[in-house]
Amino acid sequence: MTSREPGAPIPPLERRIDIADMVSYAGATWDWHRMHYDMAYIESAGFTAPIVDGQMLGALMAECMQDWLGPDARLTTLGFRFLTPVEAGSVVRCDGVVESVEPGKIKCALTVHILSSSGSVVGIAASGRAEANTL
Amino acid sequence: MSSSLLTDKLRARIGETRVYIAPEPIGKPAFRYFAQAIGDHNPLYTDDQFARDHGYSGVIAPPTLVCETNQYANLVRESSGYAGHAWDLEIPGTRLLRGGNEYTFHQPVQSEDVLTVTWSIVDMAERTSSKGVPMVIVTSQAQYHNQSGDLLVTNIETLIYQSRGGAS
Repeated sequence: MTSREPGAPIPPLERRIDIADMVSYAGATWDWHRMHYDMAYIESAGFTAPIVDGQMLGALMAECMQDWLGPDARLTTLGFRFLTPVEAGSVVRCDGVVESVEPGKIKCALTVHILSSSGSVVGIAASGRAEANTL
Repeated sequence: MSSSLLTDKLRARIGETRVYIAPEPIGKPAFRYFAQAIGDHNPLYTDDQFARDHGYSGVIAPPTLVCETNQYANLVRESSGYAGHAWDLEIPGTRLLRGGNEYTFHQPVQSEDVLTVTWSIVDMAERTSSKGVPMVIVTSQAQYHNQSGDLLVTNIETLIYQSRGGAS
């Protein structure tokens, strides 16, 4: 149980993003950009592995907030900046902390970390902020 | 003195708008497909009764879906595979990076919503990165309305055109 006090951590959400997830996401968003699955294209662009669509990390942040606050809460804002490209097969974890609370509203800072195979943080994929109505 | 990436010709495009009207309602399959793709099993997106029990008239879209999908644009795929809105800004000697997004969710998106999406170029500014690399920051806004004229979501998107030449 986590509290809804400023400074309190929110339950983290961890996920491995494999190429099958990326292809599925590409289909679901009508975005068939070759950066996410076509190795010849990816190498010509100077990368060594398919790059996760950054917006998948935004979806992860939204899910992290909604799962924690429950189905009666409604997300009102979500903003994020991309910091490090995430390669296919990476494990990422959305961590968050409560920034402010007022009646019916909560604001959190969110960070999507890139994890090593042993689970330690090796990078920051994205950072952002979300607000929700909690009435 | 280094030459400016941000030319008058580019700057003249600030204020440009483009409007897309979706060819069909967004539809429940789009919600379920997106939720499955991201591994989000929240029944708000797939179970009408559950959604009604929590104050909605039926399933709602995962919050970020409308800002992510190109379904409404109905464009032909480019050679890169991309089929969404783009400004096709030509800034020689740069590569395009995604900066980030700021979403405001005004009201939930429902399956019967037919989206009208209005993109506009809000600003362009020349900056230098912390490593001394020249870049142009392009700020766009997309507003997503339904067929009743309700504003559903606002999306402020930042694109970074970074010089390939490194520090100037």
